[in-house]
Amino acid sequence: MPEWMLWFTKFENSKVVALLLFFILFCGILLYIYTGKKRGQRLESYKYIPLQDDDSDRHAGNGEVNKDE
Amino acid sequence: MIKHESIETNAGLLIVLTMIVISIGGLVEIVPLFYINGTVEDVAGVRPYTPLELRGRDIYQREGCYLCHSQMIRPFRDEALRYGHYSLAAESQYDHPFQWGSKRTGPDLARVGKKYSNQWHVAHLNNPRSVVPQSVMPNYPWLLKNDLDYSDIQERMRALKKTGVPYSETRDEYERNVKQFGKSVADKLDILHAEENLISQALVNDYDGQPSRITEMDALVSYLQVLGTMVDFSKYNEGYFAKFR
Amino acid sequence: MAQAAMGSSQQYNYEICRKFAFMALVWAVLGMSAGVYIASELAWPALNLDIPAITFGRLRPVHTTLVIFGFGGSALFATSYYIVQRTCQTRLYSDWMATFTFWGWQAAVALGAVSYMMGYTQSREYAEFEWPIDLIILVTWVVYFLLYVQTLRRRSQPHIYVANWFFMAFILATAILHIFNNLAVPVSLFSMKSYSLFSGVQDAMTQWWYGHNAVGFFLTAAFLGMMYYFVPKQAGRPVYSYRLSIVHFWALSFLYMWVGAHHLHWTALPDWTSTLAATFSIMLLLPSWGGMINGIMTLSGAWDRLRTDPIMLFLITALSFYGMSTFEGPLMSLKSVNALSHYTDWTIGHVHSGALGWVAMVTFGSFYHMVPRLYDTRLYSTRLVYVHFWLATIGIVLYITSMWVAGIFQGLMLRSFDDYGNLAYTFVETVAFLHNPYMVRALGGLSFLSGVVVMSYNIFMTIRNARAEAAILEAKLAAKMARI
Repeated sequence: MPEWMLWFTKFENSKVVALLLFFILFCGILLYIYTGKKRGQRLESYKYIPLQDDDSDRHAGNGEVNKDE
Repeated sequence: MIKHESIETNAGLLIVLTMIVISIGGLVEIVPLFYINGTVEDVAGVRPYTPLELRGRDIYQREGCYLCHSQMIRPFRDEALRYGHYSLAAESQYDHPFQWGSKRTGPDLARVGKKYSNQWHVAHLNNPRSVVPQSVMPNYPWLLKNDLDYSDIQERMRALKKTGVPYSETRDEYERNVKQFGKSVADKLDILHAEENLISQALVNDYDGQPSRITEMDALVSYLQVLGTMVDFSKYNEGYFAKFR
Repeated sequence: MAQAAMGSSQQYNYEICRKFAFMALVWAVLGMSAGVYIASELAWPALNLDIPAITFGRLRPVHTTLVIFGFGGSALFATSYYIVQRTCQTRLYSDWMATFTFWGWQAAVALGAVSYMMGYTQSREYAEFEWPIDLIILVTWVVYFLLYVQTLRRRSQPHIYVANWFFMAFILATAILHIFNNLAVPVSLFSMKSYSLFSGVQDAMTQWWYGHNAVGFFLTAAFLGMMYYFVPKQAGRPVYSYRLSIVHFWALSFLYMWVGAHHLHWTALPDWTSTLAATFSIMLLLPSWGGMINGIMTLSGAWDRLRTDPIMLFLITALSFYGMSTFEGPLMSLKSVNALSHYTDWTIGHVHSGALGWVAMVTFGSFYHMVPRLYDTRLYSTRLVYVHFWLATIGIVLYITSMWVAGIFQGLMLRSFDDYGNLAYTFVETVAFLHNPYMVRALGGLSFLSGVVVMSYNIFMTIRNARAEAAILEAKLAAKMARI
């Protein structure tokens, strides 16, 4: 194993590295999700999916497909 | 770069990423336990169970004792006074599966061995309220009635051998055990003589007070009487075990 | 309206959802009855009756298996099949695979319960199934996974709705947990008995990695999937924030897998592992509460629904209990608190505030919404839903408070000393103290169980009416045809 890799095998070091990696990844996800107006609108539009399949509740219904009728 | 959009719309990608995300935690916490020296203390005296103790342990599992009794003493003052020295990882190194438990409806049993007489255990298991009036433990009268089934004791020991418990079958394995545990223990870990060892341990000690029979009670009491007795703590000073935690 | 519904019951495989929903209720009644019985055994040990099969030690795994895997598992199959079909607007990929998962799962649960009573157990909590049953579960689970993925792949929506993500994570995590925690060497091909591959400290870690993630993915992630569909549906409005649900999903999936070792504080497990687990347990509070807020705020601006809609009441109460137990959990994972709470009934109370308050309540709400739609009818009685709600809530409150009292006071008694530094109480004195809390707990359980019986009656009558309506409709149709 090369010298520089041994540095990672020490718990004190790898702990911090892992913490930083995951934290950056998490911030990345947050940034991705909460920036960009268009993206936000697109993501939020998905929340209507469960309501589009309605057949027995009167207020929706436009998503329903009745192929046979 | 992967767009989150493609994760949301591609089931395969969603599966792969979810797998990665849920695997990390387990890998980081479990895998090192197999490799870090010092997870299990270096301590003398811990040995695999004899055939009779092993059958007793099977019965302990069968009756679900682990649901009300732990076998894991924590390093607190009250537990030290009540149960004895805190449990070492080494003491359960041959326990497949571990019996640390999660709930104490009854007291901890990690060091119950030799604390009570065989007669007390028999009376207690047969009818707990005859010796501890406030106990809520069920009676186990059938342990005295059922003859112990030890027909597959060799198969049981072989299965455990596959998991890594040092029971011996060959000459070499036996010699190794003699070196590690001494001759008298090594003899009892010999799979080929399992049945005679089991019978002689039961007859010599007569745990259940019925000299003519070998019952499930014999096996269970022999197991209870060995719990926590393998390590001689007078040989070690306190600082030694603290190093491993 | 009726026509449209007829259309959807042909378009979707509802039969499988009906079967699983029915069995969920059967297991709920049986499993909770077993629970009430073992709770009573602790209060009145004579109830063990000296019969091996019904002693506490053998019946307790029967209780946990029937409620977690029988009731919870069947409810998850029913709702996941319902949700995946409706959010993907497609029929299940294969009818026979769905039927296979039904029989496989029911067989595993039933065989498990019988085998524990006969004394066959791996003695790993919530993974007591011996190896042949583990194999049945494995095969069933692989078919479930394939069926779910194939159904997702033929969806007519480009986007996969977030509820399905949670179900996917649940299926994957359960598979990993089940396989690794059940690695064992059978005594022989014809013996039910096996010995676990790992031993001692490694075995303990594997088991509690399994044990806590059975809670995390089986009893939380999957039921969150249920929540993300049925709360918006019942409210008639979309979930509060879809973006929050994405963050919720990734954070929860990542964090949960780390926390199992908090069941092993102060044991022979190395300190670094349990410290790591405690840290992650506290972090887990954030996604848990994020999800709870997301669910509850769905009702923002329509709070009056709680006054008029008992189904909504079930769902929102479930979320509140979810919030409460996910706060209590991190608290108990602190080493100082755990030193007192561990090994006591506080843990049992905590589990039940999650299992009864969250898992069972959200299932009840979802079933009251789903079952009438599966049969294209209306619920038999709304009043009985209210009755059920109050029986359940009172039951939970009695259960949790009695276990708090039992756990905290036993913990305190065990660690108290007299003036000379001796132990103030023997162990059995604390057992005697527990008698009263144990009676109250049994009463609470009985109240919760009677709620489930009321629900079963309500659902049974709903189905019976639906069948009668369908028969009348058919007769009318036949009469019309005859006239022509």
